[in-house]
Amino acid sequence: MTLALELKGVSKHYPQFSLSDLSLTLPEGQIMGLVGVNGAGKSTLLRLLTGLAAADSGQIEVLGHRLPAAQVAVKRGVGFASEDMRLYRGQTLDWHIELVRRIYPEWDASYAASLMRRFDLRADQPIGGFSHGQRVKALLLLCLARRPKLLLLDEPTTGLDPVARAEVLESLAEVLRDERRSVLFSSHNTHDVEQLADSIAFIHRGRLLACADKERFLGDWRRILCMGEATPELSAWPELAQLRSAGRQIELKVRRWQDDIPARLTQAGLDVQRVDPMALEDIFVTTVRAGGAA
Amino acid sequence: MKLDLNWPTIRLLVVKDWQLFQKQLAAYVLGGIVALGFLGLAKPWAFYIGSLLLIIVQVAVACFAISTSLLIERKEQTLAFVMSLPVSPLDFTIAKLAGNLLTFLVPFAVIGLATLLVILSTPLPDGLVVFALLLFGHILLAYCASLTVAMQVESEGWNTFVMIASMVLINPFIMLLGQIESIREVGRGEAIVWSGDAVLILSAQLLLGLALLAFTAWWNGRKPAFY
Repeated sequence: MTLALELKGVSKHYPQFSLSDLSLTLPEGQIMGLVGVNGAGKSTLLRLLTGLAAADSGQIEVLGHRLPAAQVAVKRGVGFASEDMRLYRGQTLDWHIELVRRIYPEWDASYAASLMRRFDLRADQPIGGFSHGQRVKALLLLCLARRPKLLLLDEPTTGLDPVARAEVLESLAEVLRDERRSVLFSSHNTHDVEQLADSIAFIHRGRLLACADKERFLGDWRRILCMGEATPELSAWPELAQLRSAGRQIELKVRRWQDDIPARLTQAGLDVQRVDPMALEDIFVTTVRAGGAA
Repeated sequence: MKLDLNWPTIRLLVVKDWQLFQKQLAAYVLGGIVALGFLGLAKPWAFYIGSLLLIIVQVAVACFAISTSLLIERKEQTLAFVMSLPVSPLDFTIAKLAGNLLTFLVPFAVIGLATLLVILSTPLPDGLVVFALLLFGHILLAYCASLTVAMQVESEGWNTFVMIASMVLINPFIMLLGQIESIREVGRGEAIVWSGDAVLILSAQLLLGLALLAFTAWWNGRKPAFY
């Protein structure tokens, strides 16, 4: 299995924030969604993966190159767009395309033209006249048309209206049809992640809480509603991520679902009312509140 | 030590800076020509207005080059876009220094040479050449100091302070030159005489400016990453 990126025990310390002992791999052709609240460390992680920041300890390899030493080689193969990245307001999109095209020989002019039509962007319009959504789409166009082997996107859909968001997600989905292209994108919007990602990583306060296939994530978690009395033994079950009770009604959130759990709950004196799958957002919030592995 | 620099991208980034600011720089050159027009009248009142305007234009060119290509790019977050391109911190530093020097030195040199031409071709005393070059030397040194600080320090407040302080020092510098007899007397005569004091001051300005730029390149270039 070829890895698009690999982090081993990576730490990065800032005065107000630390990313601690982070290990993560992304196989080639996979799409990973990085989920975390604002300030969780997503942007720091992506800066480390582009070589913009150097880790204090640990090892980072991207597209087979060690970072930050080979950052120029890495940046040739990586398309990176972040929420805090801006284009030159006084210059047109054409001017930006010309700059990027001359740097990247792999620039695909016909693909750029098709993206321009899809995103409804005007090449001769100064960027200063673009809406926020158009600016994001212009930045994505500059990333996508260079045909990178790895796309690193930091909050690509933040601040977009629903139509622009759908267009961006559709374009990303199209890019991802190429089986050799890998994508790591961060978001605090779990719906976007659920829609696009093959695998999901939860990051919180600079630590990786969980990382697994999306199907496994969604398959492992259940929300169970029961009636009865919650016993201290029940709280100690390792499968349980959260237990809340209101009167005789008990809500359980299970992180490692097994088919025999309803029967075990019945044995514990509870009346199982319903078992539901959980949405990614609920899984994320529960994981963060539980403060541990999903 | 072998320097593995990405010259094609560095060149593109320098051209980019030039393209971004060429219109405004042309306007500054125009301002310089107006100032020289006053100087060329060789009347006391016109000389006063012209020399003041000339200093203002040169100082403005220096501040504009630094603030637009570094401070405003940092503030408007376009630097993040540039840093995401295949460049190392050393490539970026060289591109920024070269781009900045180009956007400053071209109008600075055009206005500077035009000033010498005006002094030499009008009734103004030719000895003023020494005085003018020493003033331009000060602006060049102040520019190098401001550029050095702008490359290291992100604080807008500190950058503004250094830019204003270093440029405003031209006033005491003019007074200092007026106190040095060998320079003061030459400025009133027709002969262009480079006294030991004048050579020493100009050499110190140039060497110190170069040292600051070299330090900036070394300091930024040794970083393994941008953050």
